[in-house]
Order: sequence, then structure tokens, then C-alpha cells
Amino acid sequence: MIQAVEIIYRYDSKEAPVLEHASLEIPEGQYVAIIGPNGCGKTTLVKHFNALLVPQEGEVFVDGLSTKDPKAHREIRRRVGMVFQNPDNQIVGMTVEEDVAFGPGNLGLAPAEIRGRVGVALETVGMLRFAKRVPHSLSGGEKRLVAIAGVLAMKPAYVVLDEPTSYLDPAGRERVLNVLGDLKQEGISVIHVTHNMDEIVDADRVVVMSGGRILRDGAPRDVFREADVLRAVGLSTPQVTELMWRLRAQGCGVRQDVLSVEEAFLEISALIGTGTGGGR
Amino acid sequence: MTTLHLGQYVPGYSPVHRLDPRVKILSVLLLSIVILNAGAVESLVVTTFLLAAVSLSGLSAGRIAAALKPLAWFFAILFCLHFFFTDGHPIFSALPAVTYEGLDRGVTVTWQFVALVVSAAVLTMTTAPSELVGGSEKLLRPFNRFGLPSHDIAIMVSIALRFVPVLLEEVERMKEAQVARGADFASGGLVRRLKKMASLVIPLILGTFRRADELALAMEGRGYHRGPRTYLRELKFTRVDYAALFAVVAFLIGVEAIRFLPL
Repeated sequence: MIQAVEIIYRYDSKEAPVLEHASLEIPEGQYVAIIGPNGCGKTTLVKHFNALLVPQEGEVFVDGLSTKDPKAHREIRRRVGMVFQNPDNQIVGMTVEEDVAFGPGNLGLAPAEIRGRVGVALETVGMLRFAKRVPHSLSGGEKRLVAIAGVLAMKPAYVVLDEPTSYLDPAGRERVLNVLGDLKQEGISVIHVTHNMDEIVDADRVVVMSGGRILRDGAPRDVFREADVLRAVGLSTPQVTELMWRLRAQGCGVRQDVLSVEEAFLEISALIGTGTGGGR
Repeated sequence: MTTLHLGQYVPGYSPVHRLDPRVKILSVLLLSIVILNAGAVESLVVTTFLLAAVSLSGLSAGRIAAALKPLAWFFAILFCLHFFFTDGHPIFSALPAVTYEGLDRGVTVTWQFVALVVSAAVLTMTTAPSELVGGSEKLLRPFNRFGLPSHDIAIMVSIALRFVPVLLEEVERMKEAQVARGADFASGGLVRRLKKMASLVIPLILGTFRRADELALAMEGRGYHRGPRTYLRELKFTRVDYAALFAVVAFLIGVEAIRFLPL
């Protein structure tokens, strides 16, 4: 479990804190989406999860290890893998397989073990046939998958991804999201920081951040039901939820906690079939 | 992106490709010493050796020529300098500057440089950059005890190599962005063009620092620490590698011994 307890963090002591009393618990195996407008502290928060940042007040524990203890950092970073926004700035190796081998090499594993882990990690993200390629020759989505494989080769219990689908085309986005779903299936916690509301309807849990605080924390259905709260901090809701919201505004009797196109379809056909409400 | 760099790696499975990179690096170093010492007879033997190495490596003559071509002017000037400015016995009495000694020096020195370039080209064309870095790292490891951080040097070199294309692409992007806003990099004299390039250099440097910052964070996140680490491929000498290294060393000692023969 990752536990953040009342953490306060400021980059500059003269300025207002970026995180103010943020508390959060993430059990193993959960798919958590963290959303919030730009500058709300999402990235700062997740950097605390693998001890890249240490809170000035409060404390963060990873499976009981405090990030305040520098001696625990290596183990914490092995358990919590971090995939940054720009894959170009985190791929170190001259070839794909060497990059994936970087983390296990830092752990001091034997070459045979490294080879095995590199194979499994690349297989998981579907990039095994690119093993010998030069990172520069890959597309944005492929680079993102290599960055994820690099983290998986450390056999983490938690994987944190900071906007893993930004700048990707729809096909690349799809591939990355599928891989994240696979990770959850394998029992790895996925902590997915994003702007895109449509990506997180499948999450177990949505954490909404605003101004360095945690505004809402719950199942997607419950969070999106309060569309006005989201809108107040500059966030939108998934398109189908938005549609239901507008239908209700027109006086239609549809549910508001709709998350998928199928559910929306059922709601609307029920509406038309019974002929109730003021639908035009 | 597909521009061919000088001595760029040509993937393959020839006997030379498969040798341990350390054998190749050591051979090239030793060969360079022999080349710089070589007289007429030695140079013929070494030339034969280089031709044999090239044909074993499966590299086409065209590839080798392509590696030499950018240096053609340098070779020509080198030859002319020695040819015209060496004192000695004139070949033609009418042209006292042109001497037998000059011809000899010119040919020898030019051959030496061509031979050095060819041997280095065979090394870099048959060895993947990562193997070159890995091989050098392992050769330098014994110096760790004298404070030489061979692991860190290897990481530095491989990151530098990894980011060359990334930074080139960034320059291209910035150039396009500026051209789109009316900048003109194509016209004007050399000095003016260099001045215009300054508008690319500053954002490039700033961007590189930002990148380095993020990279450092990402490396830390992946458990990087100074000092020893392990690798995907731990280099290991095979019997073939030992045999090849022994053969090269024996051959080069033989070449050096020629000068002591009563010829």
C-alpha cells in the first residue's frame, strides 16, 4: 500500500505550497486515475510516491517504508515504477533492449536474469520484435511502451504514469491504455495521471485534485455524478455523462451516473420507448 | 534520419562482426602503432592484412571508399606537402623541389593515414555502438582502482550517443519554427549565416539542460546510482576471441620484427 499522510510540499519557500495536506491511500492491485486541472499538483503528488520528492511536512509510506529514509529509496523505487510524460527524456539505452535492461542492471542482477526480464517486459507491452531497434526510430506511442517496459523490468508493485497518452494518435493511445489494463489484470497497481476524462471510466477509483488538495475520491460513477463540482475546477466529464447531463437539463428523466455508450444507449432507448420526458 | 555517418555500423554476421569488441579495439590500437612505425616492406604486409580484414568482415569496397571519401582532400594536401617540401635528391634536374625523398615521404605518410582510417572504419562498421561502449568500459575496468569511474564514463558516452539524433531533430524543428515566422537561414555569406544560427544555439542549450534535468530524474527513478552495475550482455572471451587476439598480436610482432631481418 502507498500511504500519503497530510503531505505539504512547496518548490519555493516564498510561494504557496503546491500540495496542501494531501492524504491518500492506494492499496495494491488498484487502478487509480488522478485528474485535475493544470498546476493542481498531480505530478508533484505522484513524484512523492517513489521518493523523487520528499514532503516537507507529513509523510509518505510505500509498503511501510518511509520516503524520509534515504536508505529505503532504492527499494521504494524498485516497488514504485514511474513513467514520465516525455519518453524521449527517459530512454537511456542505445537500443530498446538495452534501455529496458537499464533498471535491472542498476539492481545488479545477473545477465541471464536481466535477459529474462527484458523479454517478459517487452512481450507485455507488445514490443518484443523491436528489441534491437534504436529508440530514435520508434513512433511516439512505441517510445511510450518502451518506457513502460523499462519500468516493468524492475518488477514493480505499483506503476505511476504521468499523462501516458499525451501527444499520441488514437491508435497509440489505444495501445497504451490496453497495456495499462493488462497490468491491472496482472495485479499491478496502476496510478494514471491524466486530463482525458474518457480514459478513466474503467478505473477502480478516481481522485480529483484542485489547488494542491484532494477534492473528490471515489468510484468513477460517483465522481462524475457531480459534474458541477468538476466543472467548477475547470474539468469536463466524459462525453456520455455530459450528454446525460444536458438531457436532464432539458427535463428528460435519464440517469446521471452513466459512464459508457452502452448505458447511454439503454437510457435513451428507454426514454424513447416509454415516451416519457420532453425529449425532442 | 537515414544519413550515413562516417564509419556507421553496418549490421551483419561476419566473423569480424562476431568477434568480442575488446579484441577489435585492442587490435586497432596495436595496429595503429605498427602503421605509424611502418616502412616500405611493413606497409605492404599491413595493407595485405587490412585487405584480408575487410574481405572477412563482408564490407563492400564501396562502404570503405565512402568512409575515406570525406577525407580525400586531407590526403591530397598531406601528400603534396611532403612531396614538394622534402629536401633530397631531385627527380628532375629542372624541378629541384620534387625529390625522391619527397615522393617516398608523401606516399608513406598518406598511406599511414589511409590505413588508420580504414582500420578504424572496419572497427566501427562491424561493432554496434553499444558493444563499442561496453567493450571499452570493460577494458577500462582495471583502472577503477586508480579512481577511473569506468561505469559512469560508459553511461555518459552511451547517453551522449543516444541523444545525438534527438538533439539534431530538435534543431531541425526550431529551425522550421523560425523559418515559418520569416527567418532566413539559407542566404547570406558564411558569417551572416553563422550569426543567424546563434538564434538556434541558445534555445538548444536551454532545452538540453531541461532534458538533462528530466533524464536525471528518470534515471534516479529507475534505480541508477554511481558505481558498479550489471549489463544485459556481459562480454566473455570465447576460444575464437582468444585465437584471434593471439593471431593479431603474433602477426603484428612479426611485422615489427621485419626491420631486424637482414634484407
